[in-house]
Amino acid sequence: MDEPAILARTRAYVHETFLYMRPGFALGDSDRLLQRGVIDSMGVMELIGFLRSEFGVVIADEDITEQNLGTLADIARYVAVKLRNGGPARD
Amino acid sequence: MCGLAGVARREPRGVTANTLDRMAAALQHRGPDGCGRYAGPRVGLSHVRLSIIDVAGGAQPLGNEDGSVLVVYNGEVYNYLELRTELIAAGHRFRTRSDTEVLVHAYEQWGSAMLGRLNGQFAFAIYDRRTETVLLARDRFGVRPLFYSIAHGDLFFASEAKALFASGEVEAAPDPVGLDQVFTFWAARPPRTPFRGVHSLEPGCFAIWRDGALRHGRYYELDYPEATEESPEAVAALGRLLGNSVALRLRSDVPVGGYLSGGLDSSISCALAARESPFPLRTFSVTFDDPQLDEREFQLLVARQLNSHHFVRAIGPGDVAAVFPDVVWHAESPLVRTAPAPMYLLARLTREHDIKVVLTGEGADELFLGYDLFKETALRLFCLRQPQSRWRPRLFDRLYPYLDPRGRRGDFWRRSFLDAGSPDDPLFSHLPRFLLTSRIKDFYSGDLRATLAESDPLQELRASLPPRFAAWSPLHRAAYLEMVTLLSPYLLSAQGDRMSLAHGVESRYPFLDHRVFEFAAGLPTQSKLRGLREKAILRRWARDVVPPAVQQRPKQPYRAPDIPAFFSPEPVEYVRELLDERNLAGTGWFDPQAVAGLVRRCRTGAATGFRENQALVAIVSAQLWHRQFFDSAALAPVRSAPLPLPDVALDDGVAALS
Repeated sequence: MDEPAILARTRAYVHETFLYMRPGFALGDSDRLLQRGVIDSMGVMELIGFLRSEFGVVIADEDITEQNLGTLADIARYVAVKLRNGGPARD
Repeated sequence: MCGLAGVARREPRGVTANTLDRMAAALQHRGPDGCGRYAGPRVGLSHVRLSIIDVAGGAQPLGNEDGSVLVVYNGEVYNYLELRTELIAAGHRFRTRSDTEVLVHAYEQWGSAMLGRLNGQFAFAIYDRRTETVLLARDRFGVRPLFYSIAHGDLFFASEAKALFASGEVEAAPDPVGLDQVFTFWAARPPRTPFRGVHSLEPGCFAIWRDGALRHGRYYELDYPEATEESPEAVAALGRLLGNSVALRLRSDVPVGGYLSGGLDSSISCALAARESPFPLRTFSVTFDDPQLDEREFQLLVARQLNSHHFVRAIGPGDVAAVFPDVVWHAESPLVRTAPAPMYLLARLTREHDIKVVLTGEGADELFLGYDLFKETALRLFCLRQPQSRWRPRLFDRLYPYLDPRGRRGDFWRRSFLDAGSPDDPLFSHLPRFLLTSRIKDFYSGDLRATLAESDPLQELRASLPPRFAAWSPLHRAAYLEMVTLLSPYLLSAQGDRMSLAHGVESRYPFLDHRVFEFAAGLPTQSKLRGLREKAILRRWARDVVPPAVQQRPKQPYRAPDIPAFFSPEPVEYVRELLDERNLAGTGWFDPQAVAGLVRRCRTGAATGFRENQALVAIVSAQLWHRQFFDSAALAPVRSAPLPLPDVALDDGVAALS
């Protein structure tokens, strides 16, 4: 799956999960999820679960950083690289 | 423990017995053992009684020698024997052995200055017929409730707001600002309530009604005169204070039991009570099917050590949802947690076993920095002092051990704490909680948002802080905020007084003896939170009091199932109905589309985080609260409840009866 497709699916997921109660909320792909109050520390848990079930990407503790997960664009980039380098993880 | 109500008119146009009996009827759960009233030309007093001290002689309203001072009273003054001796020495004559009568004579002797002499949990109204004044007062920490409202120039007061509405003269209407405070702090902040025009007398305060005006005063201030180092005598002094506090709280003419959560604090209360009691103590606990919430292993450990008669209420599927409407009715407020529901069931179990007084452990976490919030505050400050440090933020991973560990690691999780607010903000410690709770507001309707456009609950809280707040250490600022925003208005109310007295059970709090508070407030913070070890001094002292596994056990917060209580996976019937578009439009508080999204996620099991759990409970409880208090059809049975037959019926000729 390429980066734009990952971005589109992640964007849809974030809207359905964290923003369904705020329909007027405009979230740009480069907006910081934490600072804009879209995801809080508890929401990170859900997001990581989604990336695992949707793209088969297992995220190591040291990878749970703002650099990798800070924005929708960061997430798409990170997941795309992971998929390119290792393919989906297996349980 | 009891319920009280009354009316004080600006003009002497009378208070009817019927009005007073209707108010009493609304409070009957608080005092099933008897009731009484005084109906006078200007003032009326009403009382329902739970007999605990001087079962035969303590009926109320109770007067002084010539009937010129009358009291209705809810609570206990634990040092009443000492005060009684002092008052007899000053020439007062007593007719009963009750603590109630001590209040009357103390008022005669010292006026409102009596309040500083009382050690207890109380709310009362004293009517001085000589001066035509009514004194309302409430204990230091707000254990017992007292609400009032001024309607058409007259003062109405009662232990619960529903009794004000039962008078027929106080209108029941929601206050959007009070509602917004609930969805920020978990409870409205006294004196505000979620009811328009209904006020809660603040803890440690009194009010005097005279000539149609209410004048407020405060007799007790929270303060934290922190010592620089711990006295070598501190641990022994703590033991003596707690022992004395428990001994005073065992003063009762009926058996006293104990709530046992399995944690340190209630184990200490029960252990000290068992030491003092000549009979095996009766202890009571709730257990949960969900192992993440359940503490039975530790409860049984303590019960075995104390050789108590132990009773358990297992909270199973459907239990919380079944009682939740009653819980909201008694709590008189929307809620953001279902945690009061098991407490409601626990009180019912307690009463079924003929216990109407229990000791509990509330207050210890606030006094001895037990909550994770205090550790979180300390850690955030520690990290912000060296923002470049890479290892310091890793300490956040040690917080909230009961949460799923998958979400507790990584820089993202740590960053959320570091970005949560500036240390210069007086609300620094509590901003993460307040902001998380405020996410409920994402579900507000456009109309409610517009109504609240000018309201800023955080700014109002900042503006209410006492001048000395800034001089306290950051952890003591956090402790103060916890006392005033959560302990009294939520824990002691929705989880405390209201749930236990729904079944005529009085809870007593050894940690909330003001001498214990003042001792704890004067300790250096590191005596309480040592590194990341909470309640350090209490643990040191408790070594020989509770089993080692409990003494060393980290704090586990008391929680109950929220969304799973109502969805399996379909919603229980009343939730489905309350959250449909028509009923949501009826209150107008929540956006139907947003709520539909939440319901969809609850049904599929996708809603697992704090935000959605609290939102669901908030919305369901607010809808229930609206139906119960503002829908006249739903209120009809309450308003037409059978009136109690008073055991005491006094009128203007009260002197002849006293």
